[in-house]
Formats: sequence, C-alpha cells, structure tokens
Amino acid sequence: MSRPLGIIIAVSLVFLVGILQGAMASTKTTVIAEKLAFPWSMAALPEGGFVVTLRGGQLIYVAPNGSKQPIELSLPDLYATAQAGLFEVLLAPDFASTRELVLSYACGSEAANNTCVVKGNLSAQAPYSVINTQNIFTALPKKAGAAHFGARMAWLADDTLLIALGDGFVHREQAQQLDNHLGKIVRIHRDGSTPDDNPYKHSQASQIFSYGHRNVQGLIYDEQRDAIWQHEHGPKGGDELNKIVAGGNYGWPIATYGIDYTGAKVSPFNQLPGVKAPLYTWTPSLAPAGLALYNGDLLVSHLVGRRLQRFRYSHDSWTLTDEYLSELGQRIRAVYTSPDNEVYVLTDSAEGQLIKVELP
Amino acid sequence: MLRVLLAFIIAVVGAALVGSVMQTQFNLAELTALSVSVDMPTRMNTIVHDLLHFGPVFAAMLVPTLIIAFVIAWLLAKRFVRLERWWFIVGGGFGLATAFLIIDSLAPMPTLIAANRTTLGFVLMSATGAFAGWIFDRLWHPQARELNEELPK
Repeated sequence: MSRPLGIIIAVSLVFLVGILQGAMASTKTTVIAEKLAFPWSMAALPEGGFVVTLRGGQLIYVAPNGSKQPIELSLPDLYATAQAGLFEVLLAPDFASTRELVLSYACGSEAANNTCVVKGNLSAQAPYSVINTQNIFTALPKKAGAAHFGARMAWLADDTLLIALGDGFVHREQAQQLDNHLGKIVRIHRDGSTPDDNPYKHSQASQIFSYGHRNVQGLIYDEQRDAIWQHEHGPKGGDELNKIVAGGNYGWPIATYGIDYTGAKVSPFNQLPGVKAPLYTWTPSLAPAGLALYNGDLLVSHLVGRRLQRFRYSHDSWTLTDEYLSELGQRIRAVYTSPDNEVYVLTDSAEGQLIKVELP
Repeated sequence: MLRVLLAFIIAVVGAALVGSVMQTQFNLAELTALSVSVDMPTRMNTIVHDLLHFGPVFAAMLVPTLIIAFVIAWLLAKRFVRLERWWFIVGGGFGLATAFLIIDSLAPMPTLIAANRTTLGFVLMSATGAFAGWIFDRLWHPQARELNEELPK
C-alpha cells in the first residue's frame, strides 16, 4: 500500500469513528414517572418536583420520587378530543414569589373552538391546586374541528408572553390575513393587555407578533442571543425551524417546502420575497414537537421521528450535530431543560413517561 | 369482461386527470387571492406535479368508490334499462361525494383534499365521479347513435 493511500485510509477511519460516535452518542435515561396519559408539557417547581399537563385536561404534580398527584384545576370551557385538550404549562418569571403560572388549552366546543390561555396561582404546597384562574387570551375566530392549535408559549426578556397558534388545518389561507389569530404568534402582557410596541397597530391585529405559521409546536426565547427560536409542522415535508422576528411573515401557505398529504402542491413556491426563509427544514417530516436550549444548543424532540435532535449554533443558523433516544422507539412530545440544567423528555402515548436524559 | 375492465380503467384515469387538474386550479386560486402572482409556466409545472403525485392518490380513492357505485348503477340499470347512462353518471357522482365525506370523517384532518373545503370545490370534485360514470357506460354500452358517430377526419 502506498503511503498517501495509507494516510488517506487512516484519516478516513478516524473521521468515520468520529461520525459514528456522534451518531450513536450514548445517553443515560432515567424514568422519573410513567403511566402519564398523553403528557404535553412540564415545568420544574423551585421546591422540587414537576407540574405536567396531560392532553386530556389534567394537571399533575410529579414528586421527585416519581409519585403523582392530581392538581386541582378548573377549566370549564376545556375542549379535549383528538389534538385538542390541555397543552402548555409555563411558570411566570417571578413564580418563586408570585406562584403565577399560565396554561394554554383548547377552549370551546366541536363546532366553535380555538386556543385559550389562563393565568392562575399554584398553591404553596401539596396537595396543589391552581386558584384565581383568569383568562388572558382567546384566539379568534372560534372555528370547527380539532386540529392545529399551536399552543406553545415563551416569556420574553421584558416579561411579555408569546403564544404560538395554529391554522386550524382547514383555514390555512387565514395564516396570511392579519385580522385573526389563525396561524399567528401573538404577544401579550401577563394581564392579557396588549403591549404598545407590537408590530401591528390596527385594532383587529394589535396582538399579532408574527404570521404565516401552520402549527407551531416549539417556541423558546434565547436570552444568550436575544433571539426567538421556533419550529412548526409542515404538511408532508417542510417542517421548519425559524428565527422569529417582530412582524415577520413565515410563509404558510404561500411558500412552503412541504406538499399536501394528498401529494398536491400547497404552493409552487418554497420561498417568496418578503417571506422569512426557514433556518432548517425537515423533509420528510419528523413532526418536531418540543424545543429547549441546553448549553447553548437547541434540542428538538420529534413525534413521528421518535428521537431527540441536537443543533449547534453558528453564523446565525443551526447545524444538526447529534441524535439521541431513537432506541426508545417512542414519540417524544416535549423536551425541557430545568433551571438546574437537567434535560427531561415526555413521551407521547396513553402510557407516556417523564424521562430524565443525561446527554454526553 | 375485457371491455368492462378497459372501460373501468379509462374511466378512472379520465376522472383522476380531470380531478387533479381541477384541484390544482382551486389551490392556485387561493394563492392568487392572497396576491401571489402565479405565471403560466409555474401553473403548468404545478399541474404536472399534481398529475404525477395527486393523480395516483385520487385514482386510488376512485377505484373502490367506483366499483361499488357502478355495481349499484348496474343493478338499477337492469331494472330501469332506459336510464342506464344516468345511473352510472349519478352513481359515480354521488359515490365519490359519499367517499369524500367518509374519508374526511375517518382521516385525522377535517378535509383531506383542500379543494373540497368550499362547496363549489366539493361539488366539482364529486362531479369527476359522474364524469367517470359517463366514460364507463359510454365505452361499455355505447348507444346506437354513438356507434354511428363518425371519427373526426
């Protein structure tokens, strides 16, 4: 064997081993709680343990030892069926002193529903209950059907709340109309009032922060980079990772990398002038359903993809570097990084689990 | 039997072609209503894409639907012979409309075919089933005057 060839082979082997190590990066998983019926989101409490939402409408306290207790919660207008139900729980930035949290859920009836958000106070100690619940947002118009509610939320640095919404599936063109909340991300104060510095001033859309979304399932504010990262489901292909800016149009349904489930084109255009292009697209769709920051990296959990992906930041974009948890074979609804920098995921099934994940 | 099979295949292909091109126009019309400009080459490319990708899916919906619809039409035609052509036309149309409703009630999404979201779209897409019924009976049992039609020169 000639010397150059040997060097090439040796370098290739080292490179290959590196890739394989990256691809098969080992993770340690610990099941904290199980038999959670379709858990949707979670938050770590400062006193220990977690609050977990179940899509069916229950709020659960999971103690550090994994025991579960229901949390008393009254949502009289909850609509729970198919994709509809109780969605995100988010603790207020000053939760430690105020015990305030916000919850998103599908409200209304089969004939007329959309996404609602309430704020409330979690009692100081177990057995927990949510008291003083007060509606702070109702997405309009109410529409029929139980699909595409969005419902992920994030606090910005100024303590305003972003609420991501869906297009209701059959109303996709409404995502481009600024007189309704379908396919939008809205920004409100915690008391439900509208910030003065939202991008659109007219009364019909004063809460709109960005538009042209299909079904947002991941939303997070990155304090380190002062940026908002988001992902949303495309139809068949075209799931998107986006950087959200005020007033941005994210294209659905006039520009998309996906096609309809029937094979028909939703739009002939992947990109259009005035439309924010995605930073990353998943085709075929992995159905990203959760988004978290971990040591400056993005973690994305997937339903159809049944894995956790890790993205590294460079030059205002994200590069896929690692994949984890495919060995579980589970749909992963959410990924969450606790204030003490531990990573957790929620698996999506009638017997879902809350799993602690130690990443390499 | 070969005649029936050929007539059925041509009916399915014909309806799939017409339905595919039609739903493309509905989808593009929604975009142009949002002030998106769609030039003719883009429209043609979209039509071809949908013929290749939506067409087979639509044909797969048409096959079982039309088998059931045409068997019922045939049974009715045996009893009311003079209305045979109409039984196949009406059977194909109603059969496809029923299939759309059943699929939409079973599928996770409220409306599988986007063009069916409007009443006009639903009626016209269902009408492709009627078109299939006409093609099928025209080829299977052509009427005397149709057999005497001269081919265009």
